[in-house]
Amino acid sequence: MNPRAAIEQLVYRSCLLLDERNFNGYLGLCDPEFRYSITAHSPEIRKDMIWLDHDKAEMQTLFNNLPRHNSDHSPLTRHATVYTVDIDEAKGEASVVSALQVFKTALDGGTTELFGVGKMYDSVRLNGAGPKLLRRTIKLDTRMLGIGYHIPF
Amino acid sequence: MSRNAAQWTQRPRFPSSHYVDTRVYTDEQLFREEQDKIFNKVWVIACHESEIPNAFDYRTFQHPGGQNLIVMRGDDARVRAFYNVCPHRGNTILYDPAGNAKRMTCIFHAWSFDCRGSCIDISRGKEGFQDRLKLEDVSLREVRTDVGYGGFVWVNVDDEAPSLKEFIGDALAMLDPYMQEPMEVFHYHKAVVNTNFKLWHDTNSEFYHDYMHYFNRITGMMQPGYFDRKYVGYPNGHASVGSMEIKYDKYEGSKERRIGWPGLAPGGWILIDIFPGMTYNLRTSVLRMDTAIPLGPNKVVIEFRGLGLKRDTPQERLDRIRDHNSIWGPFGRNLHEDLLGVHGQGIAMRDERTDSHYVLHARQENMTIHDEGGMRHYYAEWSSRMGRAASDPYGERSTAKGAAVAA
Repeated sequence: MNPRAAIEQLVYRSCLLLDERNFNGYLGLCDPEFRYSITAHSPEIRKDMIWLDHDKAEMQTLFNNLPRHNSDHSPLTRHATVYTVDIDEAKGEASVVSALQVFKTALDGGTTELFGVGKMYDSVRLNGAGPKLLRRTIKLDTRMLGIGYHIPF
Repeated sequence: MSRNAAQWTQRPRFPSSHYVDTRVYTDEQLFREEQDKIFNKVWVIACHESEIPNAFDYRTFQHPGGQNLIVMRGDDARVRAFYNVCPHRGNTILYDPAGNAKRMTCIFHAWSFDCRGSCIDISRGKEGFQDRLKLEDVSLREVRTDVGYGGFVWVNVDDEAPSLKEFIGDALAMLDPYMQEPMEVFHYHKAVVNTNFKLWHDTNSEFYHDYMHYFNRITGMMQPGYFDRKYVGYPNGHASVGSMEIKYDKYEGSKERRIGWPGLAPGGWILIDIFPGMTYNLRTSVLRMDTAIPLGPNKVVIEFRGLGLKRDTPQERLDRIRDHNSIWGPFGRNLHEDLLGVHGQGIAMRDERTDSHYVLHARQENMTIHDEGGMRHYYAEWSSRMGRAASDPYGERSTAKGAAVAA
């Protein structure tokens, strides 16, 4: 598989695994130095905001704690489209920009609504057995998330 | 044993101060009255001074009474508020939620206004109005504005209302020592929820619902001192909850709180509810401010702000953001649960034919943390301002009693 195709597979698999709530599978796609962030810009206060910022261990803890919390159980469906892949062979990394849409489907009746829109900025480590997520920053355009959600995008 | 229809609709066997009729959460007429008798009479928070730091900076604000406002810092540094309505043809003047405008020009017909609300230009004015209209006849409607209690910008659309100081009284005295330094908003988001605004304020007014929060159970309820926290009610419907030491390290994955808040004991937590829909919430290293803006009886937009100190270093600010997000961000552990709770109430009390008829506020535990006295205090003020008992908003109980006596 060519590097771009392998990187696209990585992005798409990460969405599928989170949709399935296969959190260990998702973390299996991540480098030990993985870092995950959700950010947004607020035109109201004219500031960039960080809404979540975790390393791999903190992501594991977040997933471990989920069953202890009361959460909205409506499933999410993540739809990504990889726009650009820039490979730095000397560094052994790639920068990937993808469009992201997140849909939420109500358990009762199955109505689907668009929950969030943004872009995913991934750094991918290319050394080793296959590409691994090194850093994922989701920049949300959508800031109105209703009652919110306990599982990251 | 379950209850039949007659039993289900029976009034609770508590004093009338200890429950409310759910129509106070669902009735369109009562909601309109709330806008007139409550929101259009009291001081409400429109924004924070740090959102408009420079001359001509502005924020727009949807007032819970129904008016759209502009909050602007003037060339004299004073903060003023105006209706965001052009006096000519009623168009919105400023569309963006924030910005900087040396002159506010209506896009419709180019009438312009300055930062003090004066009309400074009517396009082709002489040709159209000759001498029949002066600029001062069409200035903006100014709304009373005050800045205080942590640097928040308060507005009141009632020109005759008592001052902000009279409205707040001593309610924020417990927080006063911790709001001496200039603060800055670093987090802002809104949530629209199909529920009544008072149900959100109720959630902020009682801690019995800590059973919903794993985080609060493990770090608070199971720790010494939790049940000693007491509610204190203040005039005008405000209420506070005393502090305790929260054991954040009891939550798996919780990092050591490095920064804290000046003067606040480590793990301290102070919460003060301001009538009718604002909450100061100081814990860990962050002051959170909730402002509830009702859009209808069963729809509310809640603004969430997180504040740190203006003097924060970049690292200190990052620490505060981390503390904030862990429980209060849109992906935080507690906020989602709180919103899920009132969302559920909104489903059960979705309209005037609601499944629910009465809501109990009847827990009495010497006004300690699981007492529901905070809500009783709120609804006493609500009833007084509305001229209606929250437990019997249409006076049906007194009518029924009268009919029974007559019979």
